[in-house]
Amino acid sequence: MIVTIDGKEVSCERGEYLLDIATRAGIRIASLCHHEGLQGQGCCRLCTVEVETGRGDTGRGEGAQSGSFSDKKPRREIVAACIYPVEAECVVYTDSERVRRNRGILLALLRASAPASEEIAELCREFGAPDGARYEVQSGDGKCILCGLCAKACQTLGTGAISSVGRGTAKKISTPYDEPATVCVGCGSCAAVCPTGAIEVAEDGDERTIWNKTLTLTRCSRCGAVTGTAFEHYRASVHAGTEPPDLCPDCRRKAMTDTMAKTFGV
Amino acid sequence: MNRSILVCCGTGCIANGSLAVADALRVALAGTDVAVEATGETEVKETGCNGFCENGPILRVMPDDISYYKVKPEDAADIAASIGAEPLERLLYRDDNDKPVLRQADNPFYAPQHKIVLRNIGQIDPQSIADYTDCGGYRALERALQMTPEAIISEVEASGLRGRGGAGYPTGSKWRAAMQYGEYPKYVICNGDEGDPGAFMDRSTLEGDPHCVLEGMAICALAIGAQEGFLYIRDEYELALKHVTKAIRDAEEAGILGDSIMGSGKKLRLAAVRGGGAFVCGESTALMASIEGRVGEPRAKYVRSAQRGLWDKPTVLNNVETFANIPVIIGGGGENFALLGTDSSKGTKVFALVGKVKRTGLVEVPMGVTLRRLIFDIGGGIVGDRPFKAVQTGGPSGGCIPEKLLDLPVDFDTLTDYGAMMGSGGMIVMDDRSCMVEVARYYTNFLAEESCGKCAPCREGLRQMLSILTGICEGRGLPGDLEALEEICALLIDSSLCALGKTAANPVLTTIEHFRDEYNAHILEKRCPGGVCRELTGSKKDGTGVTSSKAGKGDLRV
Repeated sequence: MIVTIDGKEVSCERGEYLLDIATRAGIRIASLCHHEGLQGQGCCRLCTVEVETGRGDTGRGEGAQSGSFSDKKPRREIVAACIYPVEAECVVYTDSERVRRNRGILLALLRASAPASEEIAELCREFGAPDGARYEVQSGDGKCILCGLCAKACQTLGTGAISSVGRGTAKKISTPYDEPATVCVGCGSCAAVCPTGAIEVAEDGDERTIWNKTLTLTRCSRCGAVTGTAFEHYRASVHAGTEPPDLCPDCRRKAMTDTMAKTFGV
Repeated sequence: MNRSILVCCGTGCIANGSLAVADALRVALAGTDVAVEATGETEVKETGCNGFCENGPILRVMPDDISYYKVKPEDAADIAASIGAEPLERLLYRDDNDKPVLRQADNPFYAPQHKIVLRNIGQIDPQSIADYTDCGGYRALERALQMTPEAIISEVEASGLRGRGGAGYPTGSKWRAAMQYGEYPKYVICNGDEGDPGAFMDRSTLEGDPHCVLEGMAICALAIGAQEGFLYIRDEYELALKHVTKAIRDAEEAGILGDSIMGSGKKLRLAAVRGGGAFVCGESTALMASIEGRVGEPRAKYVRSAQRGLWDKPTVLNNVETFANIPVIIGGGGENFALLGTDSSKGTKVFALVGKVKRTGLVEVPMGVTLRRLIFDIGGGIVGDRPFKAVQTGGPSGGCIPEKLLDLPVDFDTLTDYGAMMGSGGMIVMDDRSCMVEVARYYTNFLAEESCGKCAPCREGLRQMLSILTGICEGRGLPGDLEALEEICALLIDSSLCALGKTAANPVLTTIEHFRDEYNAHILEKRCPGGVCRELTGSKKDGTGVTSSKAGKGDLRV
């Protein structure tokens, strides 16, 4: 079926998420908590757009006919594009007055909460967020916007060393009792998915420190690049029966190529 | 003539010592055996909440229908001696003209009420399934077993019943949606998380008539094809949990619930679940997450729970009060039920009338009753006959309604039109010594603490709203603050993930709309007309100013 996003007609499958459809069509909808490997967060609300459903004149295709709103008046509502499944043909506005106003205030609020985040500052510039002069700026070097991607990544990878703690304005992401988590393997996936660079990963010599826990790094025997932490490889060997890698992915590829070259005598 | 003395043993009366009263009465009656021949047997029965808790312990002699209030164990001997003789005048309620009132129905607090949900509460022993069946209990379920799911749902639709938890979604439509999905298992959930400050109708219902809620759930389960259900009960509701757990066990032992509902071969297993202690767990999707053992955070409702709810299966979730209406609808017919109420809101609503009214408590009135009747007739007006200022309805999701709107009929749509909300039925009355800015600050603070913190507009918006409101209350308000508040409110309404955030703006927006003068007095003149905000009453330096309350920051100073 067809959805019209900012005047552009885009075809899609029923049930696809609006953000995915727009991204495929090259239409920018800013988002922070969306990660294609960890879908369904829907909590930063930056990707909210205006959707108009049930318009009589879009009556083409099966979507419009079976759409439950087709006999009602058109309805405009604000939805989070990353988790909004398109069930019927609709018209989407990603930059209407209402969307712009909401996005601006939201970004100003996020900036007050994560004043040290360059990503948020950049988004504020891009979308012309108001100055938010009356907002109380959180002290310190806050970058976290509590999108929860880190905790979800950790959970999804089977570790579950961090989670959200508390609720309301006191909510934060942390390890159990704020102590170094025994189960943390130091893989750094949390930091890799963080949209605002809020998770500190310090590497010094053969050590990596993350979430107050220091772990020993392993290196590629050929080039010396970091291949992970010893604990990470140990856990993988226990759970999946894998051997700790001797080479980094680059060198492994190279070694494989060398073997091939030797075998076929190129 | 055999009599029973109904001793109110709801949470409120127990706190006032009603269990000791009941014990003392049993002792006193045992000592008056000689009179049995003349007066018949008298049994002491511990019942659920009568709703007039501030006058507890409440006691009612039946069938004479004499109600005594503020009874103490020391009164037991006098009461026992008065059975079949002259009523004990000193324990009677005195109406507005200081006239003693004998019957409950003549008490000005009860007279205007119309009880459907609370029909049995205060009359039956909630721990006795026989008491419930004696007054017609489980007959609606029996009837439902003879009906098709379609017929049950049509009956509920005909009643016009709308969800009593706050949103007012048509119950019949919800059930129909869940019935239509062919995916099993399906679930039925009763929301007894009741977190609004001041509201206690669900607690009283679960405590005082648990079987009627179970019966409503069983009828729903038959209609949608569910075989399993949960009652999610707020963690603090100890007595409700106890009574519900016993009621489930008794109903299963009696063959009414369990593996074969009244011998029909249809199965329904119910279980009580303790709440997680968070306000947001009263939100349906957060509640389901909590039952599943996850953190109580809501999810987006683009796909409704009727399709994918608990464990992603079709689920009907209704509030306690909603389920309590169901046996009446199935037993007496949907159209009969629809005779009561307004065009769009049928039946009755239970309100928790609290604050600065002379008579506080739980009241059930037909939909469409005016706020004035609730506050001035049932509630008896403002304490000390001070001027009325506002009534806060619907808890933290609701709004403040000023004097000029007191003749509004109370139903789902009217209050929403005015930015307030009927919500779960909390009703806090305030007099001229309340500060509306402080009220807005209180609710915003409550929500900032109780928001799940998952979505950014709600968490960050409430944080900044609280900061601005606290500034205004402490004399740091600036011109432009109201506009800043309104901007954030607009974002919350549009962009929040769940209803908590979408309605969190109501207390602020309604107070700005109806009491802008008070905000301006705080911001421009650094003055608190209600005399509540400490920093603006001149009391902080020399101690000579007047503050109306010693309450701490966390308490609502009304």
